[in-house]
Amino acid sequence: MSAIHRICGAALFATLATGATAACAQATVVRYGQASSAARSIFSLPIVVAEREGLFQKEGLDFRVVIPIPGGSDKMIAALHDDTVDVTHVATTFLVRAALAGSDAVAIAAEFNNPIYSLVARPEIGKIADLKGKLVGMADPAGSIAISMRKLLALHGVREGDIRVKTIEGTPTRLNCLRRGECAAVPLGQPQDLVAQSEGYRVLGFSTEAVPEFLYTVTAARRSWAAANKDTVTRYVRALAASFRIIRDPQRRDAVVKAIVDTTGVSPAIAERTLALYFEPERKVLPRQGEIDLAGMAQVLAFMGEAGQLKAPLPAPERFVDLQYLRLAGVR
Amino acid sequence: MALAAAASGARAGGDSFEPDDHSPDEGPAYFGFVKDVAGKPIRDAKVSASYKTSLTLVTRTNATGAYKVRGFKKEISPNDVTITCAKEGYKQVRVFRRPLVKGKPVRSVETECRLQRVQ
Repeated sequence: MSAIHRICGAALFATLATGATAACAQATVVRYGQASSAARSIFSLPIVVAEREGLFQKEGLDFRVVIPIPGGSDKMIAALHDDTVDVTHVATTFLVRAALAGSDAVAIAAEFNNPIYSLVARPEIGKIADLKGKLVGMADPAGSIAISMRKLLALHGVREGDIRVKTIEGTPTRLNCLRRGECAAVPLGQPQDLVAQSEGYRVLGFSTEAVPEFLYTVTAARRSWAAANKDTVTRYVRALAASFRIIRDPQRRDAVVKAIVDTTGVSPAIAERTLALYFEPERKVLPRQGEIDLAGMAQVLAFMGEAGQLKAPLPAPERFVDLQYLRLAGVR
Repeated sequence: MALAAAASGARAGGDSFEPDDHSPDEGPAYFGFVKDVAGKPIRDAKVSASYKTSLTLVTRTNATGAYKVRGFKKEISPNDVTITCAKEGYKQVRVFRRPLVKGKPVRSVETECRLQRVQ
């Protein structure tokens, strides 16, 4: 589907503001798939900012968010194939699995490159090496969080056999393990790592130290649909690129903080600290303009190989991306 | 888009299924049946609950033709949520919403959707 319909009002204002001459724009509907679990998380930030800033409207798009219920890993690519959505937000591991199973879905732009997971420990633990012999709460051993944490531990001389591991899914649950004293350390995402820090727990390191490049979530589309709607896809990518520029613009920090607060429900202080964690110094959490880092995709494939989800020889990262829309949108 | 109420702490991109519990800011559930014109339930029909045009929650009916959608925030009025249904080989012919009881908090909204086979 790539329906055209008329929109006026706010879209008209945005169109006129950019100097376009149309009195009432012809907008192209784009249905964007989003997992319900991501809808109120930091991972929706690029889309939230693009919507709030009217960037899709400026590109002549009538952007609509579609959330499959129930959600789940297989639902996002499936939603592309059953014409529920035109493009979708998806974690790259699931895109790779779907593509290897025969889907023609490919990444057309990056949304989140390298999420930071902090290794947070009880206050009396001063450094990673002090974790030897202690219980560490970990995520799914085959997942990217656990793999990056094992690499971080190894970087500091702690091998897998040196610690006791308990698998605990979900950042809030792992934080509870830390709070009740059962776990000596756990990996936490934002904002719980910042909350834990404010409670006196100690951050021993970040996943990004051990895994500097990654490609966590992308916008994906079917090759066939994208090829038939090249202009629409290019305009979508251009709007997304503009959103990243705003997110990175220090002059627009207040607007971005407000977007995080309104979307996730965290306090403004936590939202500020989250952005500081991402950008001060630059930790490559977000792309600069939605560009796809093939080295990051290669790292995803390597992780999947390490977890036994892919067999050697690993496929080339180029197989899972289509860079032409980024190029057409002027993103290098 | 921030009008969807989802579980916190979940992961991005669809790699986790939200727990089956209400978040405190979640609005009513939308439920009902999809049937054909003779009243027989239709399984695996696609049901869309749309808040204006900005946000749509999509689900499918089970073997009894039933569906249930939750996830809109409580500040969204049920009057602004439209239910539609679709299935290949059918067209939608009727949507009927059970009237809400005035003065009582809305916990669920029942809507029946009828489809007719296209010849």
